[in-house]
Amino acid sequence: MLLIIYTIGADFSTPGCSREWTEYPDLCYFQFMKIALAQISPVLGNPERNLKIHLDCVRKAVSKKASLIVFPELSLTGYTLKDLAAEIALNPGKSPVFKKLLEASRAIDLVVGFVEEAADDPGLVYNAAAYLSRGRILHVHRKVFLPTSGMFEEGRFFAAGRQFRPFDTGRVRTGLLICRDFLHYGSSYCHFAGGAGLIITISAAPGRGIDESRGQGFETSHMWELMGESVSFFSSAVMVYCNRVGYEDGAVFAGGSFIYSPFGKLITRLPYLEEDFAVIGVDLSEIARARQSWPFRRDDRPEVIWQSLEKIIRENI
Amino acid sequence: MKINFPLVVKTLTGFIREETGKAGFDRAIIGLSGGLDSTVCAYLAVKALGPKRVLALIMPYRNLDKEGVAHARLVAGLLKVRSREIDISPQIDAYFSAFPTDNQVLKGNKMARERMSILYDFSAREKALILGTSNKTELLIGYGTIHGDMACGINPMGDLYKTQVRELGRYLKIPEEILTKKPTAGLWPGQTDEEEIGLPYEELDRILYLLVDRRQKPDEVVKAGFESKKVRRIVEMIKKSEFKRRMPPIAKISSRTVGHDFLYPYDWDK
Repeated sequence: MLLIIYTIGADFSTPGCSREWTEYPDLCYFQFMKIALAQISPVLGNPERNLKIHLDCVRKAVSKKASLIVFPELSLTGYTLKDLAAEIALNPGKSPVFKKLLEASRAIDLVVGFVEEAADDPGLVYNAAAYLSRGRILHVHRKVFLPTSGMFEEGRFFAAGRQFRPFDTGRVRTGLLICRDFLHYGSSYCHFAGGAGLIITISAAPGRGIDESRGQGFETSHMWELMGESVSFFSSAVMVYCNRVGYEDGAVFAGGSFIYSPFGKLITRLPYLEEDFAVIGVDLSEIARARQSWPFRRDDRPEVIWQSLEKIIRENI
Repeated sequence: MKINFPLVVKTLTGFIREETGKAGFDRAIIGLSGGLDSTVCAYLAVKALGPKRVLALIMPYRNLDKEGVAHARLVAGLLKVRSREIDISPQIDAYFSAFPTDNQVLKGNKMARERMSILYDFSAREKALILGTSNKTELLIGYGTIHGDMACGINPMGDLYKTQVRELGRYLKIPEEILTKKPTAGLWPGQTDEEEIGLPYEELDRILYLLVDRRQKPDEVVKAGFESKKVRRIVEMIKKSEFKRRMPPIAKISSRTVGHDFLYPYDWDK
């Protein structure tokens, strides 16, 4: 069990700023957000047992006054589902499991991973992430990039999502990504272009590469951290990455969940390969400060990117 | 090819612990030959589960590998695991007196399957999961007996080359005499793996690493400085042994077929 309260940057270590916190508690509360990372090992193919794991984590997070809890990819089902994916897919609007999670979301916002049965398109199932808040589903993201090569076969069992769309949570504009989505940097760019100050990636990433030169973790863990640092810095956004642990059919999920600040600084990294739960304090006012220091957001030209992409796509076809 | 030892040990001990529990067992069983692979596997198992939850079976045939048996006893003693010695000579001799042969490979395979049969029997009696000890080198070139020493509940060692297993053994501080002796499958007195395979493990593993991990074509491996004849021979061994690494093909005639499009996870509901 780990509780870290972290304030980013040097500002809050100065006496002047501490005073500011006590003088304007409401403002400070709004800008200061405690995020719980649930680095769990879900049971494969058993949403009911996973619901219990989720609710236990939610209780811990609420008791530590977190306002958001993030679970890994497919946290309600486990990852290596194969044919089970279609069998345990659920419609979040009707599912009893979601009913319980929505009740929990009255006390804390949740990001959970699940298999979505498309209500609007029967027969299609998606690897999905839902953002729940105040008893409502604020947003569902369907994984766009389904890894289907080597050890991965998501494209055999899931339909691919078709959009990246940031949304407002009442606290900060947020973008959701699922695992491989994050490794295609265009995905994060969409959230950046859409104004997201918080980018959340949920993941079920197996560790691979045991080369001793990579230090503590797997080579692939380094890859995620590299992207986390880059995306947080160049998007001037808080970057939350929640990865799972545990073993499924020989795959070793690496853990190592992390949060980077809008200045690209590592705020926390959870251990590799071990279940863990941490509540991390994040100062959202750093988003504005980062964007003033490095005006990537102000100077962004999405229309130029869009026109260029359109031309590239047209010419390539 | 150098590996991060603490990371590998943490990963593999976690794998043994978690998979043993998922299989519904609280302990593991291992066939201890006194060789490098089963010794390293036993050390990992004890790190994962503790000595009381590891059972070692030592299964000699006559005096074929006296040194191996002595080393196996040494390891069981050092690790303080429960061990049993089961002499497989009566059943092997009974079979070959009915079907005589001078072919040492046939005899070796029969012995490996006899040991497998005993391990599975004790797995059920003791409610213990069988830990496989085949390394990546053996699996890739097919240097093992199908349904014999390759049979197991889980295999923690299957993604480590033989030379990496040796380095891991050194890191785990297994007895020096086991680290330094010539690896043998114990097929006949004085037999060594390297003589039978035709090249030393150091060279074999480097070639396999380039072919498999680095995805190089045989020609590229030859250009990297390895003898063409050896590279081709290894490629042939990989090709010819694919049947040992897979479930047997099922003729698909219905609309949904086991292994083809009836696909469920091994760790289902665990």
